[in-house]
Amino acid sequence: MASLSLTNACIDYPVFGAHATSLKRTVVAAVTGGMIGRETGVTTIHALQDINLTLRKGDRLGIMGHNGAGKTTLLRTLAGVYPPTKGRYRRQGSLSSLIDPMLGVEMEFSGYENIRLCGILKGLTPQEITTLTPEIAEFSGLGEYLDMPVRTYSTGMLMRLAFSIATTVRADILIMDEWLSVGDASFRQKSEQRIRDVVDAAGILVLASQSRHLIEKECNRLVELAHGRIVKDEPIGPAPDAAPAAAASPAAAASPVAATQPAPVQKLQPGVEPPSPPKIQPALEPQPAGRG
Amino acid sequence: MPVADRYISPSAWGDWWQGTCQVRLWWTLASKDIVDRYRRSMLGPLWLTVSVAAMLAAMGPLYSQLFNVPLGKFFPNLALGIILWGFINTTLIEAANTFVAASTFLKSSPFPLSMFIWRTLARNVITLAHQLIVYVPVALFCSIPISPIQLLAIPGLLMLFVCLHVMSISVAVVCTRFRDVAQVLTTCMQMVIFVTPVLWMPSSVPARAKLLLYLNPFFHMIDVVRAPLQGLFPQRYSWPGLILWTAACAILAMVLFSRSRRQVIYWL
Repeated sequence: MASLSLTNACIDYPVFGAHATSLKRTVVAAVTGGMIGRETGVTTIHALQDINLTLRKGDRLGIMGHNGAGKTTLLRTLAGVYPPTKGRYRRQGSLSSLIDPMLGVEMEFSGYENIRLCGILKGLTPQEITTLTPEIAEFSGLGEYLDMPVRTYSTGMLMRLAFSIATTVRADILIMDEWLSVGDASFRQKSEQRIRDVVDAAGILVLASQSRHLIEKECNRLVELAHGRIVKDEPIGPAPDAAPAAAASPAAAASPVAATQPAPVQKLQPGVEPPSPPKIQPALEPQPAGRG
Repeated sequence: MPVADRYISPSAWGDWWQGTCQVRLWWTLASKDIVDRYRRSMLGPLWLTVSVAAMLAAMGPLYSQLFNVPLGKFFPNLALGIILWGFINTTLIEAANTFVAASTFLKSSPFPLSMFIWRTLARNVITLAHQLIVYVPVALFCSIPISPIQLLAIPGLLMLFVCLHVMSISVAVVCTRFRDVAQVLTTCMQMVIFVTPVLWMPSSVPARAKLLLYLNPFFHMIDVVRAPLQGLFPQRYSWPGLILWTAACAILAMVLFSRSRRQVIYWL
């Protein structure tokens, strides 16, 4: 039974300026009673204040707010990265954080080595990784490039790899910073389907986004943050089951309707062209041709 | 379908234990660090072996003349001294940077902190293993007899690892909060190498300066491994000294870790 809750949670960050982390200043300040070491005065940011949030199975929470409102902090707090300085955090069920899909990707390593490394970071056993590798490789569509060091990849190829690895793992609670959607047109369609499966498999979704449209489409509850406080917490959207059901059916991916659906996300698409460095072209050819 | 889980430890012990249990994770990261450092070089991690061998070949014969000690006694002492000192020194200095280096990990998922302490230690243990190979030709050259005493080096090494682990915890926590402690540490370690019998023989300390050995935890750390490998018993105060020092560091580590474990993430 998945659940996630914050009770009266506050996050107060100390921000150490360039000087405040220095021991000398702290000592000088202590010795002189704060006369000289005035820079030591540690600024505290009240990143989140009095957050009360309880999520149960079936909840699809969208988080909105202006830049600096505390969205990322709230995501990290919900992921268990920041322990609340006041209040309580409780979690039941497994959690997968897609806050940083590139986590663990190592530039000098080949694609296959990265699959192994990231797999282990996600808590997979070597056997599971061996079983999953062909599937991940196939999905990424990178073919022979997987034997090349990742530093030779274009941004788009890198995102394809990271995405393919990151979405292999299922969990009860899924946390995302913006909708993950990567690659060129054909890959984006595939990845939309894939992320949809992951989201559907999760009991709880937490999604931070700037796009109201996206949140209305994907979520059934909206929390709006301003200056570290929840200013709005309301149920939203059409029937929450309508959208996923339509897109989850395999036919939808191929149907023209799905293809013309606006890509909801701007953030994670670095305007990518299909990977087309000249050398190992044949391995990649079927990919763009298949869907184009 | 594999399932992700990151369990959030309720206590400092829980964090420590979970991180410790993630052997596969920290070992993979540690060996990745080594492989990464030597990628695209012909010899790979064997460079570790070669570089220490070159240094010893240059220093051994010369310094045995300078200190006026027969090469057969001096060389094994110097070789092990330099290798073990390098291990201790690098582990502690890298421990200072452990959490900062792992900040991308720590900021995106609640990994146990102790995992990264183990990673730094494991990385240096791998280096040590590559460098200890150099001792074999040195021991053969100086015809060190093989005896059961050498087995004592195994508990010695294990104790050294434990000691460095608990020291690393304190160093890592303090250095994440106060960034210039890392510099203080580097400076201190440069001093310590000269007052510790790393380059010179413990036997050349005059009686009036024996306190330099009795009260020097770094000498104990080296001695419990170095003496047995040379077929000698460690000084009788080395083991008790090391155990006391480790216990003291463990208490300090527990206090620091349980008090500031939750704040570390905010200091990154």
